[in-house]
Amino acid sequence: MQTLLFTLVLFLILNLGVGMWRVLRGPTTADRMLAAQLLGTTAVAILLLLAEATGSAALRDVALVLALLATVTAVAFVRRTLPYSENANDDE
Amino acid sequence: METLISWAIDVALALLVVSLAWRALASTDLFKAIVLFIAFGLVLTLVWVRLNATDVALAEAAIGAGVTGALLLAAYAKLRATSPDAIVDRAGGISGIGAISLLILILLVAAALGYAVWTLPSDYTGLGKEVAANLDQSGVSNPVTAVLLNFRGYDTLLEIMVLLLALLGAWSLGITIPRPEAAPGLVLDTLSRLLVPLLILVAAYLLWVGAHAPGGAFQAGAVLAAAGVLMLLSGRELPAALATWPLRLALVLGPATFLMLAVITLILEGRVLKLSPEWAGRLILIIETTATISIGVTLTALFMGAPPGEEDR
Repeated sequence: MQTLLFTLVLFLILNLGVGMWRVLRGPTTADRMLAAQLLGTTAVAILLLLAEATGSAALRDVALVLALLATVTAVAFVRRTLPYSENANDDE
Repeated sequence: METLISWAIDVALALLVVSLAWRALASTDLFKAIVLFIAFGLVLTLVWVRLNATDVALAEAAIGAGVTGALLLAAYAKLRATSPDAIVDRAGGISGIGAISLLILILLVAAALGYAVWTLPSDYTGLGKEVAANLDQSGVSNPVTAVLLNFRGYDTLLEIMVLLLALLGAWSLGITIPRPEAAPGLVLDTLSRLLVPLLILVAAYLLWVGAHAPGGAFQAGAVLAAAGVLMLLSGRELPAALATWPLRLALVLGPATFLMLAVITLILEGRVLKLSPEWAGRLILIIETTATISIGVTLTALFMGAPPGEEDR
């Protein structure tokens, strides 16, 4: 069981790498921000798996905080940054 | 097999955190750098978890990945609105001599750090044992909280002061964050109605749990600030009646309580922030509660920029 959980954690960490590629690739600001949100969700999943694998309940608190605050970042992007980035041409 | 996978997890995380940091620093596109910084905060949280520093992971999740991300995004919007050139010009490199002297400086710092690590005694086990031995005197059972609020309370006192100074700096610059937003849609309005009470509840939980498990004032304050930021983003303004002295009172409540306690303990006990064991638990709870409120309000006020009521100056 432990081995399975740790394997899944490793798989999700590799997914973080793929998400990072999407952040770098873009091309629009919304693409990058959504990739960051994907990273946030993946990190929550990793934390929950690690909490189960290591039996450390406090990791669930970290996952909870991460999940709650990712929402705030997303809202800040939509409400503040997005109105200014429609005419932004991302230089790749 | 399991140790092999554990090892692979740590190597993958280490590679990821370094490459994210490098990409964030090297990016010429400011927005990309901000998103990479948020991603860096997320991965760093996982790194702290792997290092068994859950308290730090919690702080990184709340402050590094959450509140700082929102602050940077708002700052980016402000830059875009007022000085678009500042964003484009970031690619301008440093000249030859500048680059070489910078390289020398970095190498010197690296050498000094390397020397400091090299000369550390190899059989030194840290202060963990002494903290564990004195834990029952501290009033709490979480060793991190014991160190932060009791054994080295003055560090935390200064940290809270730094936060207040940062806000005073922002206020004296007279920064106004543009508010281009239309009225919030139904989704955002519903989200903030559901999420703000939940955030306040989680902040209270983190504050309380800090006495015996990872948690505490900074983490709780950051979550509280997230509630404030969400309210601002969904178009709720601070009522004018609260924007005058009640706001200022909330800002100084934590630092002032902490400072008063420092003075009182100096007079009664003869040493700054020497908490007597039978009172320590209650005093720590009072400090942490007032600090949580002040940290939450300070971070929210930083997001607002200018002091409320003076935005049009």
